[in-house]
Amino acid sequence: MMMGDQFRTKVEPYSPKSSPRGARSPVVSRQDSTGTLKATISLGKNPSIVHSGPFYLMKEPPAESDLTGAVNLMAYYGLEHTYSKFSGKKVKEQLSSFLPNLPGIIDTPGHQDNSSLRSVIEKPPHVGKELRPLSSVQLAGFRLHPGPLPEQYRYVNQAPMKKHKSRHKKHKHKGGEGVGGGGGELSAGEGGGEAHEKKHKKTKRHDDEKERKKRKKEKKRKKAKHSPEGATGGLTPSQHSNG
Amino acid sequence: MASTLESLETQLEMFIENVRQIRIIVSDFQPQGQNVLNQKIQALVTGLQEVDKLRSQVQDVHVPLEVFDYIDNGRNPQLYTKDCIEKALTKNEQVKGKIDSYRRFKSYLLVELNNVFPNELAKYRALRGDDRPIS
Repeated sequence: MMMGDQFRTKVEPYSPKSSPRGARSPVVSRQDSTGTLKATISLGKNPSIVHSGPFYLMKEPPAESDLTGAVNLMAYYGLEHTYSKFSGKKVKEQLSSFLPNLPGIIDTPGHQDNSSLRSVIEKPPHVGKELRPLSSVQLAGFRLHPGPLPEQYRYVNQAPMKKHKSRHKKHKHKGGEGVGGGGGELSAGEGGGEAHEKKHKKTKRHDDEKERKKRKKEKKRKKAKHSPEGATGGLTPSQHSNG
Repeated sequence: MASTLESLETQLEMFIENVRQIRIIVSDFQPQGQNVLNQKIQALVTGLQEVDKLRSQVQDVHVPLEVFDYIDNGRNPQLYTKDCIEKALTKNEQVKGKIDSYRRFKSYLLVELNNVFPNELAKYRALRGDDRPIS
């Protein structure tokens, strides 16, 4: 009995529903998608017979596009200059080297102090309110007590000395009006920075001179040692090693 | 567009500079500095207004989101450009390699087919309108 059932299910594919060509009648002509026909006959208002030639599986090749990956796309889009700019020199890793004028330490990951740009996208700030100057009553909220800040806040976000120096220079060059408008302690701070910078430069120069003198002395000593060779137009130390 | 971006950059720089000055004033506050501080706070509001005015002019500037990851990690955003260019160049070279390989394969195949099925290949090439000599 069971065997008979199984046989019946196998026999059933004769019905149009389960035929290998689906429910369509084999009489109806259609496009030769398999490429097994040499000619395609299409009926309808304009019946036609399209010969596909002596070859099976022959199809029209894809249209050739003008721009492919075989073309140097960098040159095609005129980006060679940009490429040479970035590949030639080594781009500094830190964000501060891209934004040297930005005060504070900006090279630390943004998520540490909630200053990441991602957070601005994920949690956009409330906007739409009109920006108005503060009234005198509102400004009273910013009345401060005299004296320095507590220790824990004093050096927060302060950039290292090296970067600070270059920043001062740039600000000085860009707009003097901003700094000049500051309070007494502000200008004093700026002046102090300059003085410090000058001093530092002087000491640096002094050190450089010392080093130069040392080198000269050493050279003289070496010449004295190699004096017989020197007279005959001797070789430099590097040439010695080569020769 | 360049001038708009430049003016936005200038405004932002001025705003940052203002904040920096406020920080200096506040770090060791003197009573006579209150007026200056008030001016600076008002300048903050004005600065924000100026930046807000420029908002409409930079609506069509598209920034790839990946750049933000570089900036958030304290990295130079120019490295993103560099990485993009290098990736594009690598991909370009790979695709060119593939195309060249396929071209070579096609010519080898034609040569070999021509050796084995010369008549059929001649018909095929005639159908394709290819009258170049097989190399």
